[in-house]
Amino acid sequence: MIIRQGLFIGTCVFIAVLIELTLLSRIGIPGATPDLVVVTVVAIAFAMGPVQGATSGFAAGVLLDLSPSSDTIVGVNAIIYLIIGFVAGFWIDPRDRTLPIMIGITALSTSAAALGTAIVDTALGGDRVNWAEVPWITLSSALYGVLLSALIIPLIARLARPFLPDLSLS
Amino acid sequence: MFSRRTRIILSVLVVASLSFVILDLRGGDGPFSSARSAVSSIIGGIQSGAALIFSPFTGASEWWGTQVDQSGQIRELTVENERLSSALVSSQNDIARADQLDALLRVASVGRYLVTPAEVIAVGPSQDFAWTVTIDAGSLDGLEADMTVINGDGLVGRLLKVYNSTSTVVLIVDPVSSVGGRVAGSQEIGIVSGTGRQNSLEFQLLDPLGEVNPGDAVVTFGSKDGRPYAPGLPIGEVVDVTGSAGQLARIATVRPYANMSQLSVVGVVVKPPREDPRDSVLPNAPVVTPSPTPSTTSDPSPANEKETAATPAPSGS
Repeated sequence: MIIRQGLFIGTCVFIAVLIELTLLSRIGIPGATPDLVVVTVVAIAFAMGPVQGATSGFAAGVLLDLSPSSDTIVGVNAIIYLIIGFVAGFWIDPRDRTLPIMIGITALSTSAAALGTAIVDTALGGDRVNWAEVPWITLSSALYGVLLSALIIPLIARLARPFLPDLSLS
Repeated sequence: MFSRRTRIILSVLVVASLSFVILDLRGGDGPFSSARSAVSSIIGGIQSGAALIFSPFTGASEWWGTQVDQSGQIRELTVENERLSSALVSSQNDIARADQLDALLRVASVGRYLVTPAEVIAVGPSQDFAWTVTIDAGSLDGLEADMTVINGDGLVGRLLKVYNSTSTVVLIVDPVSSVGGRVAGSQEIGIVSGTGRQNSLEFQLLDPLGEVNPGDAVVTFGSKDGRPYAPGLPIGEVVDVTGSAGQLARIATVRPYANMSQLSVVGVVVKPPREDPRDSVLPNAPVVTPSPTPSTTSDPSPANEKETAATPAPSGS
């Protein structure tokens, strides 16, 4: 089960990183790049749990940091997405897993990712972050997060079903 | 609160990411250059394929307009019509790419730069605040780090990292980028640095008494051996000057000629010209007939200078 879950997480994360870097960052819409990777990580956390969320966040962050179109410090995205994946999976209350609540948490997560990158980058002495742009980037990434999550969360929940332990027994 | 397994997994992941950060911050080649190059060779190939599939969505911005117009008809159209309209979209896309390649060839031939064409296959997300893109050419195509990257409109950036078949380009609008610039038609030089916004650069004159006016064109000053920046490439047009002559900090805002959010076909200058092409590469620059013998004893630059001074500064595209 663990190996199959790992393969599922790896595939989802890899496809999300690929689509984000080749398609979403190039369609030229204003503000932040629609953060498909964070939405996918959060969707995995919702569907599978906090540990799986943290693992997929770590994998996605490392892949994004190492991919050739980024010049970030390796590990920064990894730790931010790791925390987001864990918190999202831990936070969601099993009793009210309604789509609006999950979309709200996702929007918070995408803006937290944008803000977190800016803060960590500045704290580590990077001189790239333009703080005048940060509020707009944060806000727009929340908006795109809402749009993407309405699609991705049900999709991942559906796809993840065969990889989950049988919940009907418990 | 959490199970023992959860705690172990979490702490391993956190420690791993923190140590990645610390290792990478040490700078230099670091332990990640081989990891990065491995990831780039895996992802790069897939990205080239994906970029080709996605090109109708990322290439021509006017595509969205035509698509909205057609949306009403599409419901009634037959499968045949859909096939035809998708063929139309891809041929429009091809025409746009051919135009970009034409413009690139013009810049390369006028300035006598030897360029290797490449295509942008991925762009870093804007949340990283870095303006970096990946192109589908690498060390196998003869590219090396710190080569100049241009497109048909002007300077785009320089190569930051070169892998086997892909390379990372840092664009001139990236906040860490700075380029030696010269006001076209004069000798005023300065530093053009990125601001992190896609349509503005900061041009700081070295001489506080220097003359610079809105509408002036800025070209690259050129680095030693043409690296990282070859000389004479159009950077952009001055749109605003803050601070009056004599003030300590005179900063001009420059709008780059190249549209940084719509990059597709770019060229990497593998060999800069033997002579500085001065201002001849600028859009609607006076046509300077190149001297047939480059080794002529008379200095060609005064004649060149006069011709440029006689015409008003180019107003850009």
